[in-house]
Amino acid sequence: MRHRALAWITLGVALIGVALSMPPAWYPAKTRLLLSTWFGTPGYTSPPATLEPAAETPEAFCPETALDASDEWRNAQEIDGVSLEPVSTCLADNPYAVAAFVRGTNQVSAETLAKSGLTADAVEKGRDLDGDGDPDEIHIRLEVAELNGASPESRELMARYDLAPGIHPGFWVFAPKLAGMATENFESTRARNLLRLPSPAIRVELGDRVRITLENGHYMPHTIHLHGADHPFVDVSGEGNDGVPIASEMPVMPGGARTYELTPRNTGTKFYHCHVQPHVHVMMGLQGLFIIEEDRPNNWLQTLNPGAGQVRAPSAAVREQYDREYDLHYTDVDAELNVRIQQHTDPRVVTQSMHRDYDSTDATADYFALNGRSFPYTFRESLVVVAAEERVLMRTVNGGRDAIALHTHGHTVTVTHRDGVEVPEVARERRDVVSIAPAQRLDLALATSNDGQGAYGPGIWLFHDHGNRAVTSDGIGPGGHISAIVYQQYLADSGRPRTQGVSLDNYFTEAYYARRTPVWQSYAPQRLGQAGADRGLQVRLLLVALFMGLALAAAWALVSAKPKS
Amino acid sequence: MNENTDRLPRDCVEISGQVEFHVRAGAEFADTFPGSTFTYDQHSLEAPACSLVTVVFENRDEVRHQWMVHGLPRYLYPGGMFHIEANGGETVEGSFIVPSDRQSYLVHCDLTQHMEKGMKAQLLVAGGSGDLWSVPGVSGDFYPAEYPAGALAGWIPVILLVALLGASILLRRN
Repeated sequence: MRHRALAWITLGVALIGVALSMPPAWYPAKTRLLLSTWFGTPGYTSPPATLEPAAETPEAFCPETALDASDEWRNAQEIDGVSLEPVSTCLADNPYAVAAFVRGTNQVSAETLAKSGLTADAVEKGRDLDGDGDPDEIHIRLEVAELNGASPESRELMARYDLAPGIHPGFWVFAPKLAGMATENFESTRARNLLRLPSPAIRVELGDRVRITLENGHYMPHTIHLHGADHPFVDVSGEGNDGVPIASEMPVMPGGARTYELTPRNTGTKFYHCHVQPHVHVMMGLQGLFIIEEDRPNNWLQTLNPGAGQVRAPSAAVREQYDREYDLHYTDVDAELNVRIQQHTDPRVVTQSMHRDYDSTDATADYFALNGRSFPYTFRESLVVVAAEERVLMRTVNGGRDAIALHTHGHTVTVTHRDGVEVPEVARERRDVVSIAPAQRLDLALATSNDGQGAYGPGIWLFHDHGNRAVTSDGIGPGGHISAIVYQQYLADSGRPRTQGVSLDNYFTEAYYARRTPVWQSYAPQRLGQAGADRGLQVRLLLVALFMGLALAAAWALVSAKPKS
Repeated sequence: MNENTDRLPRDCVEISGQVEFHVRAGAEFADTFPGSTFTYDQHSLEAPACSLVTVVFENRDEVRHQWMVHGLPRYLYPGGMFHIEANGGETVEGSFIVPSDRQSYLVHCDLTQHMEKGMKAQLLVAGGSGDLWSVPGVSGDFYPAEYPAGALAGWIPVILLVALLGASILLRRN
């Protein structure tokens, strides 16, 4: 009997304890109002103080040790008779590789070839068939490289490639044929700079006899489909030439090779991509710009533009009309897809994961890249650098899942060609938003005359998708494919834009994109910083748990005790 | 390639002898090792201390492959590397002199994912210093791939039931 009484008392005390230790905000509003009429409003307790975040050391804006950030690579120069335009952004393509792409890897000096890192057959240039001073037989060899892949020996990513600080989804790309190692050196897992996203932009001349050999050193079957570029369905021997496994030919199996042939009869900005399981392979990065230039005498083209971006040796026809030329390749990433090559190493398991377990109809894009980088890395290499009174050609392709509403600050652009087909003069209009459907190409002409219509004068003018998801990286902004039209005077010698707003340092940390840094930490660290933990709440919750435990124990004792007969 | 047929490693007084390997590479050899894509036909090669090693590397695929050794003395081999690279269908030959230490050297193809998908071997000098990880046919993976347990998984409840029954019978007897 005494035990039962004790249990009842314990239960009562415990329930009162639960009620008293509960955070007051959990009581119904009416109860709280009633209590305040009895006891008055509660006194002021100071909310938790703003936390000091862990100190993060930002990466240098321009990587200090990178060769591609050195003047040796950025300067205007002539290599093996090829004149290269200077690069004003902080990172530049290897000029020896660019020269080799212009002259042909089979034509450049041994020294240039060695410095390019390419094989001698990467881009072979042959005879001048029409006698106009430039080669018309072009043989390009492409391999398939996997970036940020897995290893059965290590948890590190193999051939590491960063989209932005701390963001490194797995990618597949068509890559120029490189001699030697895939990484910077034996000690590094970082991919060499020609192994990158996006696949290189390809340039050929109208009427060239073009051969593109896909040497498939990847562990899955692949093809090349020349989207929009004039090519026959079968080649002269009757072999399929459209790159479509369900219609024209067997895909190129691992270890195999196939040569695609075309002699294009029309010009324009086209596209190329893998057509094996394209809903997965194209989105993994197996896609690139394919540009057919107009025929001109002595028209030595930069056959490959690695990672797209500035064209350092524009064609004769482009130089007639424009002062500068940029290839702008937009892509997006569904992290749920691209992570799969990092989760498995057995190609059978990878195949199941990517092609059966993954459902592309449920895909949502998490990351957005311009020329293979997301902000802030776009500011290192994907800027459109201009000067006043210039005409600039921007060849854009949307390689992503969704349409892009590309908006240019401070400028209007004119669409001169859509999918490589010229827009009639009368139908052209200046726009500050242009829509680009998936796989669509738009040639955009930008005029930098400060006339209040085409341009509002010098500055650092952003351009970005105005469907505002794409200005974030997995929802953290600023990120995604934000880039800018930057006038030369707004660019420091290092290539860093002379921005006048907030410090960009926070964005050069992994912590920011890992959601650990308050977004306005650099200039509102106190009022809008990270609120600290509520210690009082922690104590109350602990007490609630203890009293509830006690109440349960007492209740159990009452229920299980046998009443005396 | 960093070929070297005459400069001796500091710890060698002379070339102790010659060994020659004819290594074939390609996707066709991977069929022996489920879950791999490319590999060599030989995965564990042995060479005496201070010997001159000649490798005839036959690439049976239509894509590039490499036979690359790491960890050699850097004063003889830039980057510590001897490496043969063969285009599809090519056979390329090269020689190098190994030091005297008992050492297991990594041999691989450095095209992306080729080593990870099976193109890995080891060169054991003077008997070697143990097997490297993930050499097909020689050693296991440090992070083995995970596969489904298959039909066995469906039998787990039945096995549990039988175990419980057995246990209860035993307990009753006691």
